[in-house]
Order: sequence, then C-alpha cells, then structure tokens
Amino acid sequence: MSNPPAVAQALLDLLLPVDARETVSGDLLEEYRDARTPALGQLRADFWYWRQVGGIWLRAYWWFIVPVVLLLVVHDIFNTFRAPSGGSYLDGLPKLALAPLSPLVGVGIFVLAGAYGGWRTQRWEGGLVAAVGTFVVVWLFMAIWWNATFYPFAQVQQSNPYWIQAWQWSTHRAHPPSLAGFNPDTPDETFLRWVFWDNVGALFFAGISMLIVSVACGSIGGALALMAMRRRPAAIHKT
Amino acid sequence: MADILGSFEQAVLLAVIRLDERAYGRAILNEVAARLDRDVAAGAVQSTLERLERKGLVRSTLGSGTPIRDGRARRFYAVLAKGRHELNEARTTHDTIWRGFARPLKTRS
Repeated sequence: MSNPPAVAQALLDLLLPVDARETVSGDLLEEYRDARTPALGQLRADFWYWRQVGGIWLRAYWWFIVPVVLLLVVHDIFNTFRAPSGGSYLDGLPKLALAPLSPLVGVGIFVLAGAYGGWRTQRWEGGLVAAVGTFVVVWLFMAIWWNATFYPFAQVQQSNPYWIQAWQWSTHRAHPPSLAGFNPDTPDETFLRWVFWDNVGALFFAGISMLIVSVACGSIGGALALMAMRRRPAAIHKT
Repeated sequence: MADILGSFEQAVLLAVIRLDERAYGRAILNEVAARLDRDVAAGAVQSTLERLERKGLVRSTLGSGTPIRDGRARRFYAVLAKGRHELNEARTTHDTIWRGFARPLKTRS
C-alpha cells in the first residue's frame, strides 16, 4: 500500500488535537489509499494530501496570520507614504497610540500562536508548528505584497527626500571596501533597481529573523501552554 | 430567533443522517462532496463536525479501525434530537424566505 509523504504525516500529527489525531489521520490515509492514489496517481495524491494538511493548519491558526499581516501592511504603507519633509506621519503620535504597531506585538502573536498550538495539541512541538506555520504564510504574503506593490510604491518614494537620501547613502557612499572585500558603492544603480533589490534584501533578512523569532516564540509558547495544562489538568482538552 | 444553521452545516448534518450507522469522517466527507458537487476539504468537514458536537447537535463514538487505515480508529457521528430540530428550523426558514417565488427565478430582460 502506498503512503502519503512522511513529512506531511508528521505535520498532521502535530496539528491535530489529541481526540482527533487518530481518527482524522486515519480518514485521510484511507481516502489517500482507497480513492486518491488509484484515481490521481501517487504524485497528485501526495499533492492532495499536502493540501488537506495545509487546510487543517489554516483552519486552526488563520487568526494569528491576520494581525501579523495587518501589522506588516500598515508599517509598509507608513514607511512608503511620508511627509514632504521625509518624516513619518506616525512620528507625532503618542507612544500609546503607536503601541499596537510595535514589533513586540508581532513577537507576542508568535508566542500566542505557540501557546495555542501547544494547548490544542498538548505538545510543545504543536506550538512550534503553529508559530513557524504562521511565519511561512506571512513570509509568502510579504513576498507577494512587496513584489506587487514595489513599482507603485517606488513611484511615490522617488519624490520623497527620505527615500532619495536612503538611495544615495546606499549606492553613492565612498568608503574603502569592507573586510570581506565587498564594496557597496554602485553609483550607476537606478532608484527603481535599488528599491527592487532593497525589497529582496529586506525579504531575505526579515525572513531569517522572523524564522528565528517564530521558532523561539513557538517553542516558548508551546512549553508555557504545557506547563499551564499540567498545573490545571481538569481544564485541558477532552480526550 | 435562534442562529440558523449555515448551508455547509446543513449539508454535514444531512450527510450524517443519510449515512446513518456508516457516518464516520471519510464517508461524511465524500457524501458532502457528492451532494455539493465539488471537492471539499477534510479540515472543513472536521471543524464543522467539531462545532456541531460542541453545540450539542451531534454526538460521536469511537469505532474500530481497518487495515487500509493502518488500524486507526474511526469516529462515528449521529445527529441528536436538537440537531434534527435545528435542521427543521433551517428548512422552515428557507421555505419561508422563498415562499411566493416561482422556481427557477426569471431573469430580467
């Protein structure tokens, strides 16, 4: 008998609540072997299985994605559309009003996702899957969002002193090559090209830092949920 | 007025009634997909069944597994009296909304 991809099965195991783990994975396995593989072939049946696992993840944790995506979009919009002086329109606001936009909120959401995942699955690894999954979806959104908006945003940015300064600092500074021999001086770089590569770089570095944060926060959240559940065994999920 | 069941919830409840003693996860998934004439995600059916159980409209019991499932248990569902009542309510509301309209609706020229 054919088997679904091992990674997908392991992920599914870390996604499902205790009382649904055996039954739901059994339902999917039965459908995969009995109907999908004979009708679609192994490759497309595997794809179907992955889609089911993704769907179950999304149904369980989509509401952690929404605030992180909103945070990202609001940041990006205020970073692009700036006052004629180059300053951010947010600069004048009181700190309390800016609190929801703090990067710490993003960190808190990853911890919450981890805690919820840990509570739901009664495993700290469940928290890890929740937080890292949130990162993956948000990162994919970032990739699409930045690529879709970079051209119209660049048109706005090219007439703002803040971004012109950033472009000139990044491409026109004259200083000796760094220790690694890399010289960032690229005086021929156009503004549009610079914005594009700036976005690609940001996507790469934001991806790495968010991955690290999501792994740490997911593990911490999952572990915290497990500790809380052990203290209050009566309040945990039904089995 | 009480919350009316959504159309997907109705489809799941009716699938459970139709399947009777054979109403477990995969069978319900296929029944719903066949009735709605579209591919349905297992997660959608699963989360709906969980919600219906929390609302007290269905109950579930664990049954034995089969070799094709590697012996993993099956969860069988049955619609409770409250579930049937809610289905009847949904049907009544549906009929009331549509009363007075010919079927199919004529398109304006």
